[in-house]
Amino acid sequence: MSEINRREICEGVSFTAVSDSRFKRERISASLIVPLNKDTAPANALLANVLTRSCREYPDLTTMARKLNSLYGAALYPSVTRRADYQIITIAASGIADRYTYDNSLVSAELARLLCSILFDPKLVDGTFCTEDTEQEQRQLVEELEAEFNDKRNYAIDQCVKVMCADEPYAIGRCGTKEDVARLTPDDLFAAWKKLLDTARVELFMLGSTDPAQAYDGFVPYFKDKPRSTDKKSIVRAAAPQVRRVEETDQISQSKLVMGYRCVRRDDDYGSVANYMTGVVLGGTPISKLFVNVREKQSLCYYCSASLANNKGLLLIDSGVETDQIEKAEKGISEQLSLLQNGELSDEELTAAKLSVKNMYMSKLDSLSSLQSHYLAESFHEKPLSPEELCSIAESVKKEDIIALSNEIKQDTVFSLKGTGGEES
Amino acid sequence: MNYTIRKSDRTGDQYYEIHHPSGLTVLVYPKEGFTSTYALFAANFGSICNRFVRDGREITVPDGTAHYLEHKLFESEDGDAFSKYAKTGASANAFTSFDMTGYLFQCSDKFAESLEILIDLIQSPYFTPETVAKEQGIIGQEIKMYQDNPDWCALMNLLGGLYHNHPIHTDIAGDIQSIAQITPEILYECYNSYYNLHNMLLCVAGKADPDEVLSILDEKLKPAGPFTTETIFPEEPYEVVKHYVEQKMPVAVPSFHLGFKLTKSTTELPDPKEVSTISIILDAFAGSGSKLYRELTDKGLVNASFSYDMSEGVGYGVIVFSGETHKPDEAAGYILQAVRELCREGVPADLFEEAKRSVYGQAVSVSDHPSSIASALANCFFTGREMFDSMDVTASLTLEEANEVIRHILDPDNYCLSVIRPLET
Repeated sequence: MSEINRREICEGVSFTAVSDSRFKRERISASLIVPLNKDTAPANALLANVLTRSCREYPDLTTMARKLNSLYGAALYPSVTRRADYQIITIAASGIADRYTYDNSLVSAELARLLCSILFDPKLVDGTFCTEDTEQEQRQLVEELEAEFNDKRNYAIDQCVKVMCADEPYAIGRCGTKEDVARLTPDDLFAAWKKLLDTARVELFMLGSTDPAQAYDGFVPYFKDKPRSTDKKSIVRAAAPQVRRVEETDQISQSKLVMGYRCVRRDDDYGSVANYMTGVVLGGTPISKLFVNVREKQSLCYYCSASLANNKGLLLIDSGVETDQIEKAEKGISEQLSLLQNGELSDEELTAAKLSVKNMYMSKLDSLSSLQSHYLAESFHEKPLSPEELCSIAESVKKEDIIALSNEIKQDTVFSLKGTGGEES
Repeated sequence: MNYTIRKSDRTGDQYYEIHHPSGLTVLVYPKEGFTSTYALFAANFGSICNRFVRDGREITVPDGTAHYLEHKLFESEDGDAFSKYAKTGASANAFTSFDMTGYLFQCSDKFAESLEILIDLIQSPYFTPETVAKEQGIIGQEIKMYQDNPDWCALMNLLGGLYHNHPIHTDIAGDIQSIAQITPEILYECYNSYYNLHNMLLCVAGKADPDEVLSILDEKLKPAGPFTTETIFPEEPYEVVKHYVEQKMPVAVPSFHLGFKLTKSTTELPDPKEVSTISIILDAFAGSGSKLYRELTDKGLVNASFSYDMSEGVGYGVIVFSGETHKPDEAAGYILQAVRELCREGVPADLFEEAKRSVYGQAVSVSDHPSSIASALANCFFTGREMFDSMDVTASLTLEEANEVIRHILDPDNYCLSVIRPLET
C-alpha cells in the first residue's frame, strides 16, 4: 500500500512522494499551474511539447527518443489540461524499476535526472529556443487543435462551454486558439519558460519504489527560495437569465445534444463530494437516471451522461441522438432532472451511486498515474484528501443534501450539433 | 483442484491456470497488495464468426450478430445486469471485437457477488422479440456514432481494401439493415453454438484468490457438453482488393491508414516469436527514435497522432501505419518506400537493441494494471500464446532472426492506402 509524504519546498511548490513497492514502473512528474489567460495559454501549451522534444544533453528528437528507448521504453508525457480557471502544464516521466531490467541498468536515477534536464536545462540557441524545434512543434500543435473538430462529441461539449463561459477564462480552453499558437516565436517560448518556472504554482511527484530523494534533490536547487502565489479560486457564475440556444449543422450521421447548467460550488469536503455525487446519480453510471430512462427505457441514444465540475459550478449533460429525436431527448433529460429536484431519489439509486463512487476512488490506489492525478487535483483544495478519506465522505452523503444541491442546478445553454446525413464516398 | 502455476522468473509474478471440470479455462493472476479486482469472461466468438457449422447444419448470421448478442446478454428474465452490479458497486462493461466477446467488471469490494452476477449473465440468455427490437434504437445510434468517427471509418475502409472475402472487412456492429434482420432465434443459435464453456475463458487479476474464484465456479457453473462448432472462413486470395480507398467526411485534418496484408495471414496465425519480433521491428523502424519518424516529422508529414500496430487473428493479419496529416498521400508514399527498404535491408543493429529494451519494458509494465493483465491473458490464450513468453522471446531475439522474420512475413507490394479527406466546401 502507498505511503504518502507531502512536503513544501517553498511557498507554492510542493513535493509529494508516493512510496509503493507494488508496481513495476516508477513515475516522476512536475505540474506547473497558472491562471488561464488567453495571452499566455498558447505559449505554455507549446512549451510542454518543445521541452519534451529535446534538452541540452539530448539535443534533438531522435537522440532523446533513443535515450528513452535504451531506458527500457521509458516515456515522457507532456500534457496540458484545464482545471476550472487554471491551466496545468505537466511533464511526466515513467519507466520500469531498476530491478526489472535484464542488464541491471539504472533507469530511475537516469529518469529523474532527465526530467530535471528537460525542465531546467533545455536546448537553447543564442539564448533562446531553437527556431526549427519551435516551428516543428508549432505545426504539430496547430494540427492537433484543428483535429479537435474531428471528434464531434468533444467538439459539441467545447462549443457549449464557449457559449456558457464566453467572458470567463474557462472558455479559453487548455491551449488557447490555434491562430495564437501559430503566431508564437522562440522568444515568446523562452519568456514563457522563465515565467512558468518562476511564478507557477508547482506540484512535483515521485511515485513508485525508488528513493524519492533522487527526484527531490534534483528539484530543490531550482525551486527553493522562490515563493509564488498559491491562489486556487475560480469564477463561479449564476445561470443566464434566459436559456441560450445555439445550433450548428454538420454532415454527420448522429446529432449531438449538450445541455449546460450552472450549479453551486461547495468548498467544504462534504459539500464537494455531495455535489459531485449529484452528477453521478443523474448521469454518471449505467444505473443513473439518464442512462436508465433516456437511453434504456426510451432507446433514444447510445450515450447520455452527466458530469458535474464542483470547482467550476458547471454541469454538462451530453448525448448522441437521432436528429429528429433531439427535442424528445431534451425533454427526457429535463424531466429526469426535475424528478431529482422534486425529491425522487430512491435508496437503491443512492446506494448504487455511493458504491460506484467508492469503487472509483478505491481503484485509484492501484495505478501510479491515477494516484498522481488524484493528488494533483486535491492540491486545489485546502487540505488534500486521500482516496480512502473521500470514500468515507461519499459513504456519509445524505439523500436530502443531494436533492438540495440538485435544486441549485439551473439551465443555462442548450447546444445542438445537428446531423444532416453522413458518409460520402 | 489442480493448478498449473505459470511463473515469470523475470518479474517474479505468477498466475494460476485451472481447467475447471465444467470445461472452462480459468486464469487467476493475483497482485499482492492491490485493492481492486478485474474479471473478464470472454468467448472465443467475435464479429468474424458469422458463418459456421454445428450439428451438421451450416448457418450464416447477419453482420453485427455477435455484438448484438453482447448487448442482449446483459438482460435476463429477472432484470438487467447493470442493476444487479449496482448493488455491488462494480463497474461493468462488455465489448465485441473481431475475434472475441468479453464481459467484464472491475470492483474493490464484493468480488464474490459480482462474479456471481457475471456468471449468471453468461449462463442466462433471455431474448424475446420485444427485447431484441428495443435494442435496435440503441445499437443503431452506436453504429451512427462510429460512422462519424474518421479513424474507425478509415480502418474499416482499409480492411475492405485488403480483404476480398474474409469477414474482417465487415463492421463489428453491422449496419442498420443487417441488424434489422436479427431475431431471438438467431441470437439463441449463436449463443448455443459459441457460448460453450470449452470455448470460453475467465481471467481474474488484481486482488484475487484462486480458491475463492474456484469455489464460486464450482457452485455456479453448469458443465458444458463438447464444443463442436466450426467457423467457416471463405477462401481469401493472397493479393489485396485494391491499393487505394478514400472517403470524404466533415473533418478538419485529413488522415491516412496504410495497411499491409501479412503473407501468412490467409492460412495460419503468426507464431509467438513472430508477434514479438514484429513489435520490436516496428518500434525500431517507425518508433520515435527511428530514421523514418524523424524524416516524416522533419518534412511536416506526420504529428504526434502517428501510430503503427499489428493485428492478427484467424485468417487475417495486418500491419497498419496511420496518422492525421495535411499530406496523406505524401506521408503514405514515404512510408511505403521505407517499408520496401526495410524488407530489403532490415533494421540497423543499434536501433534494434534499443527497440528490444523498449518492447521488453512495455511487456514488464503490462502487469502493473489488472485490466491490462486480463486483456493480455485473454488475447494470448485465444491465439495460442503464453503471456510471459513474450519477455523471454524479446530478451533473446537476435537481429538476424528478426530481419529474417520481417522479410518472410511482410510483402511491401501487398498494401492498401485508406484516406479520409475533408468535404469539399
